[in-house]
Amino acid sequence: MIDMEIPQEVIKIAEDIKTMRIRGAGRIARAAAKALKIAAQKYEGSNDPMEFRRYMARVADLLISTRPTAVSLPNAVYYVMYHLEKAEGSVEELREAVIRAADTFIAESLEAVKKIGRIGAKRIKDDAVVLTHCHSTAAVSVIVEAYRMGKIRRVYSTETRPFFQGRITFRHLTREGVPVTQIPDSAVRYIMHEVDQVVVGADTVTSNGAVVNKIGTSQVALAAHEARVRVFVAAETYKFSPATVIGELVPIEFRDPTEIVPAEWIAKHPNVKVLNPSFDVTPPEYIDAIITELGVIPPQSAILILLERFGWALEKIKQGGIGRIRFEETLEE
Amino acid sequence: MEELVKNGYSRRESGTEYMFLILERFKAVAQKGDPEDIVEAYKGIVDELKERRPVNAGAWNLVREIGKYLIEKDYDRDSFIEFIEELRRKTDEACWEAARVASHRVMKDDVIITLSRGVCLRRFFKILADNRKKVKVYVMESRPGMEGLDLADYLDKLGFETYLIVDSAARFFVKNCTKAFISAEAVAVNGAVVGKVGSSLLSLASNEARVRVYVIAPLYKFSPETIYGELLKLPEGDWTLLMSPDVRATLPENYRARAPIYDVTPPQYIDGIATDAGLFAPQAVPVILKQIYGSFPPRILRVDEIIESLEKKYLW
Repeated sequence: MIDMEIPQEVIKIAEDIKTMRIRGAGRIARAAAKALKIAAQKYEGSNDPMEFRRYMARVADLLISTRPTAVSLPNAVYYVMYHLEKAEGSVEELREAVIRAADTFIAESLEAVKKIGRIGAKRIKDDAVVLTHCHSTAAVSVIVEAYRMGKIRRVYSTETRPFFQGRITFRHLTREGVPVTQIPDSAVRYIMHEVDQVVVGADTVTSNGAVVNKIGTSQVALAAHEARVRVFVAAETYKFSPATVIGELVPIEFRDPTEIVPAEWIAKHPNVKVLNPSFDVTPPEYIDAIITELGVIPPQSAILILLERFGWALEKIKQGGIGRIRFEETLEE
Repeated sequence: MEELVKNGYSRRESGTEYMFLILERFKAVAQKGDPEDIVEAYKGIVDELKERRPVNAGAWNLVREIGKYLIEKDYDRDSFIEFIEELRRKTDEACWEAARVASHRVMKDDVIITLSRGVCLRRFFKILADNRKKVKVYVMESRPGMEGLDLADYLDKLGFETYLIVDSAARFFVKNCTKAFISAEAVAVNGAVVGKVGSSLLSLASNEARVRVYVIAPLYKFSPETIYGELLKLPEGDWTLLMSPDVRATLPENYRARAPIYDVTPPQYIDGIATDAGLFAPQAVPVILKQIYGSFPPRILRVDEIIESLEKKYLW
């Protein structure tokens, strides 16, 4: 028996994810779901449901292999494959299950930011002064929605060195009419006594409720905790990392030092190493709630989201570990 | 360099450097002018101090001491210049001594985290280098101003293994460190320390990570006014401290920024203040003030009272 080949269109998407032509957690996730959908639509193999499952497993493995450390990408794949696993019947029925799951994932992911905005805005106090760090679409959505409800007096936005993503936040918020003041990252403790609530985004949420986000987030949360200011994390459910359930660490990327100082400065200072970690980890005890599109949860309940969203995948991961998991091998004959 | 200036790098005098500048100005005026010119210069310097460095306790203590001298002594150019030179020498020695005391807390292979570029802080590292104490140093960029780059440059020349990090990464790296050392613009009577903005954040993160925090502050940085309840009002800047006009031009018209220059580290986050009179707990500041001024509360002349007396004595 010759296995059905993976369609070119799907391989192209995998390539684009790998070479980072497709970027951003949300976009990567939706592209992966779309690739699975296309793969299902283009399946031209036999009517044996097992063959279809094997074929889809190979597509899933290909997609996951493009960015082994990403969170949103495997999550999109797990989501769709979970629905395939649960589905029964003929190839047609399985194909339908995959298409439906992929469409739902894409729609929900697009809708998630809006939902998070609506849910999160309810948590904002009247006449609130809010502080946010870096630029997060989900956090901005919460703030803008709360502003429309007449709840926001002022927003403090950190510059966010080295890349100044705070300036993007400034633009997005002021475009909606929100009054924003930018502060240097070093001033978060100084300003905290004027702040009522902190809203930040997340890059990854781990199984114990720790939040991996832009460097500086953890000290914003620490300063807020010290001042008894509540900290909310706005995060789509596809940012929750199933791999952390088996104790895998979230790798922290160290980026190019020239993002901080020019190459000529570095060349002139042989004893100085410029360290540029992109993310840090905020422990759950400094986070009051994580706002997801499914609802508000205490960070320690992160596992609930993982079970709800990726319960089946968790079992698979426990068997093999992310990066090593092969959907093809997990199929039972 | 252009790239750095774009992002708000600028040279600003440290607290002690600013004191030295004041002393130089007094000396220059005394060399050329008469007592009336000195009183006028005095008023000018006080105005500038209020405007530019309102919390520089060292500078306030200095102008108070100079004022007291001018009120109490009969003016004589040579003696006044000698007095100014003596103040310069005493300030310089106190700074070295505080740095030396702080250096005693450092053990071989310590990993130190710090920020900004205070004179006494640099001398502290110079003493460590001279004593061949091998340490590693994490330096925060220290925005606004980014003078952490100047300190990193100095440490590079001293030969220390140095790590330059953004201010946001203090908590991330503090767990790799064994001690935090910060400098001060002023020390209040309750032991709170006014330092470069970010100092309190670093101290908070250090405490969380159980890393000890030491402040290097010669006694001239102690603010006796705070005994009488004076609040140290911290100055703030705006976007001009954070970027060049070219960069500002790329941002929306209504872009607004607050750039605080100092913050206050509460005494509970400080393990010790290293002074020229030794190392002690921040809560012991009143004891030390009694030692310096001979009584508690000390009798201190307010600067506006001094100016009034000087005007009466020299201008009327």
